[in-house]
Order: sequence, then C-alpha cells, then structure tokens
Amino acid sequence: MTNLVFGRRQAEALVYREARLLDDLELDEWLTLFTDDGIYWVPIDENAPVDESVSIIYDWPLRREERVRHLLDIPFPAQSPRSRTMHLVSNVESVKQESGEYLVRTNQIIHEIRVGDFSQVGLGVVNVLAGQVHYTVRIVNGNPLIAMKKVLLLNREMPQGNLTFML
Amino acid sequence: MTESNEAADPGLVWTGPKRFRVRTAAYVDPVVFAREMKRVFESNWVFVAHESEISEPGNYKTSHIGLQPVIISRDDDRQIHVLLNRCVHRGAAVCREQRGSANLFRCPYHGWMYGNDGKLVGMSLAGGDAGYDSDFDRPEGLVRVPRVESYRGMVFASLNPDVKPLVEYLGRAAWIIDNKLDASPVGQIQLRSKPIVARYPGNWKFQAENIVDGYHFSFVHEGFTHLQRQYQDATGDFGVHAGNDSPADVRRVRSRGRNYGTPNGHGLTARPVADLVPWLEGKHGAYYRELLDAYGEERLKMIAGRSTASIFPNLGLIHHQIRVWRPLSANLTEVTVYPYDLVGVDEEINRGWLRSQERFYGAAGYGQPDDTEVFAVNQQGLSATAVDWLILERGLHAERDEGGGDWSGQPGGEVPQRSFWLEWMRRMESQEEQS
Repeated sequence: MTNLVFGRRQAEALVYREARLLDDLELDEWLTLFTDDGIYWVPIDENAPVDESVSIIYDWPLRREERVRHLLDIPFPAQSPRSRTMHLVSNVESVKQESGEYLVRTNQIIHEIRVGDFSQVGLGVVNVLAGQVHYTVRIVNGNPLIAMKKVLLLNREMPQGNLTFML
Repeated sequence: MTESNEAADPGLVWTGPKRFRVRTAAYVDPVVFAREMKRVFESNWVFVAHESEISEPGNYKTSHIGLQPVIISRDDDRQIHVLLNRCVHRGAAVCREQRGSANLFRCPYHGWMYGNDGKLVGMSLAGGDAGYDSDFDRPEGLVRVPRVESYRGMVFASLNPDVKPLVEYLGRAAWIIDNKLDASPVGQIQLRSKPIVARYPGNWKFQAENIVDGYHFSFVHEGFTHLQRQYQDATGDFGVHAGNDSPADVRRVRSRGRNYGTPNGHGLTARPVADLVPWLEGKHGAYYRELLDAYGEERLKMIAGRSTASIFPNLGLIHHQIRVWRPLSANLTEVTVYPYDLVGVDEEINRGWLRSQERFYGAAGYGQPDDTEVFAVNQQGLSATAVDWLILERGLHAERDEGGGDWSGQPGGEVPQRSFWLEWMRRMESQEEQS
C-alpha cells in the first residue's frame, strides 16, 4: 500500500473510465480494472448472506471472464440483437476505510436499448435502470483496482426484464 | 385460410389421427384469456405457496389465483388460510407487502381490522346514527378461498369448492415432486433465498410448455452449451450440465428417459441415471450414499436424475427450484423462480445448487433470459394471425399407453405439451362449470 491519495477526482477518473469501457464493449480491458480476487456483485438482497440468497450477478474472477467471453464471442437470443448502453455516473464520493481500501460511492443511471426491427416486441425501446454503485478500491503497486463492484439497483427485488448486458 | 377445406371448425385445439394443432388465438386473444382465467385458473387447483415461506404463526405472503390477489397466512394456531386480499367493506387491498408477519390486517381506507385467520375483529366507529344498525348483516371476514390442501409442504388453493382431492389431481406428477424433495435425506425443502422474478411480453402458456420441452435446448441454449464446454464446473455449474460436451451429447442427454402426459394436464420428464457409481464415488459421495440408505437404488436413480414437471396450470419443477408462472394478460407473464435448500445436506451442496441456478436462471444469466426472449419472439411471430395453427405433433406416432389415463413418449417429443392442451381444451370448451 502506498500513500497515494484516492480522492473524489481520482475516483471519478476510475469510474468514468469504467463507464466508457462498458458502453464501448471494451470488456477485456474492463477485466483489467479489477484486483485478482475482484468480485462483481448485483444482489437481490444485499443484507442476506451471499451463500444463502441468489443474486442477479455474483461473479468471482473466472465468472467475470466467462461473462465477457459470453457477451463478446457467443451469439445468444437475449443479445440478438445486442444492447447499446449509456452509463451516467454521478454523486461520486471516496472514503478511506480502516482496511486501507477506499469505498467509492456513486449513483448511476443506465440507459439501454436493443435496435433492429423496431416494430417488434422488445426492440427499439429505451430502458432505464437506476441504482447506487459502490466500488471497493484497493491500491496495488500504486494502481487503483476494483476489489468489489456492487450494484444496488433501485428495483433489485422487483420483476426484471432482460439484464444480459453490462450493468 | 387453412381450415377452409374442413367440414367443421375444429375449435382452438385440432386433434385427430396424426393431428395435433393449436390455434393462434389460444395465445393472443384477450377473450380467450378472460375465459381461461375463469376456466383454467379460478375453477382449478393453483399452487400458491410453500409452507416454509410462512413457517411461523403470523407469517404471511401474497400471491394470486389467476388474476385474483390472495393472502396466504398462518394463524396463531398454525392453521394456513388463503384469503382474498380485499376489504369486504369497500374493496381496498388490506395487505400491501409481499411477505411478512402480522397479527392483524388493517384496511387503510376505513380501518376495518381482520385477524391473521381472516376473521373480522374490528369495525371502526360502528355505532351511532352514522354507523351500523343493530341488525347489520356483519360479514365474517375476508372472503376465504374454499379449498386449501398441501402435498409435502406445497400449498395449493382453489376457488372452486368442488375440485377433486389434491393428491388425486396431481396423479403421476406427485411422483416427480417426491423425487425432487427426496433429494433431501429427510424429504424436506426450505425456501430461504429471495426469488428470481422475471417478466416477459408473451403468453403464459409458452412457459408452461417450455419447462418440459427437450427439443428447444440445442437451439435456444446453443450459446450456453458453448460456454459450458469451455468452463465446465469452474464457474459454478455444479455438475448440472455435465455430459453436454458436444451437439450430439446434448441431443443424447435431452432424449434420455421418458416423457409423460397425464389426464389433468401435467407434463413430466423423468430421467433416471443409468449408473450410480459416478454419484456414489464422486465428490459428494457421502451425500448420495446417505440417500441410497434412505431410499434404495431404484429410487436414487430417479432422485439423482434430472426430472422436470409442468404441473397444470401454474407450477414448474426443474433443477432445485419451484417455479411459478403468473398470467397478467394474453401477452404479459411473470415468472418467479424460488431456489430451495435441501434440509439435512451440507451447506456446500445447497450453495452449489444456488450458484448454479443464479448462473442459468438469473436476469443476467445464461439460460432463462434466452427462454423468455424466445417467448417474446413467439408472441411477436403470432401477431401474424393470418396463419391459423401451431404444430405440436412430435412423437404423436410413437406414444405409449401407460394405463390410468397416462401416456408417454421419448423426451424431445411433445407428449407433455399435448397433455397440457388436451386438459386446457377440456376446461375451455366444456359447457358446465369445471371441477
């Protein structure tokens, strides 16, 4: 751990870059934003023990890689046609934890649309997701890396549509 | 149109020698939808809860019988009640939570109060000239769903007082329930996780048909099979899709075992394992040896195998989950997946099944979103109503009579779907009210 200060401006640089990589589908580069043990978590019930409650996404490192390979390399009905997304990131705060890691809180709005024959059910409609996205950031060899990305969708325990894109 | 040469209109389901077709209107027509809410849902047994969801006195959950909102509550004497969620005074919903615990349900409009057994226990400001007369015809309480029965903790309810006993209604489907629940050495499951809830813009019957459809897997889930070949168990499949290593393997696995159709519309797939050795000597061998002691070899082959059921009209069993589909309109459906824990097994095994289901069935998973996407694509396709019929004739030539009104066929054929439609048609077209 170095003495690097990871304040709001540094946090914004990280989460803006992440948003750009997600929206541009630069997902192999997105994988490099995480620590070796980094978790990508989209809970349904964030207060329940993770081993007792199913999540929307609970990706350990190999699962994150699998998600990226699935999205980039393999055609499947729920992404045929594929989603376009736009992540808007706001309300960024960075607070140092006792562990030496930083908790970066953000609010995010994700717009998503699947194009194609827009006369058809489910296509050509802009869907909006909102939520808090919390990052646990660890400084490794001077580089800020994500040890945990936790997405708390406003409607996390409500009925969901197709979420087979990057949140 | 195609039926112009027919002597008589075959109705919504066209059956005959070498003939089994369903009319487009069965999936898209709002008039058909309104009729099936009455004939298929409100006159029939419908799954509403598992007892572990309301394990303590005062626990309740809300659910539906077709479009009818109900509360399933456990009273202070542990009795289960299924009650219409509507104040008998002026109609407001008395319960606004999905689940919880309560001694009383209090109407938000005028404060009428009901016990957790549904009885009316308090009417606000009842006396005086603005209140009720001394001989007021006082309702007993929330309107009670007349029939409630459980099979192994699975609670079914019916708005029809004349339905046949539940166990008789389930018939051969009870065999699949038994095989699923006996994966617990003490024969019990527990719903601990929050459910996965999805909605799709398509008819509810696509889900009822698809959960026992072996034919679609190689196509809808082709991408998944590629992913599975690459990652095997490393990302949490927990052996569920073992053996699906090539397109030929997928076809072989999906055609193993036997499909069944039953007279009450249940469609079943039973896939016993051929060889128990990999289970008994595998990583979780101690668990399977315990089941062997409890249930014997033949039962264990069924328990360790992968059976599925579409229990008419709204309940599915697959993997280690209870699945419920809820029609909202002819072209909107809600699907709720309740992953369950097996009581009396290692936490590691329950955790393995949970992560496996998250990976396949979640809203961002690699299986169910493709199914629900295809259901929407189906509904889109059926907007071409100028085409009359859908074809459900796979394996019709090779069905086998199993006695007692049941029949069977090879998985990958459409025996379970045909049993669904025959019962659906019987209920929809009968002149008298159903039982």
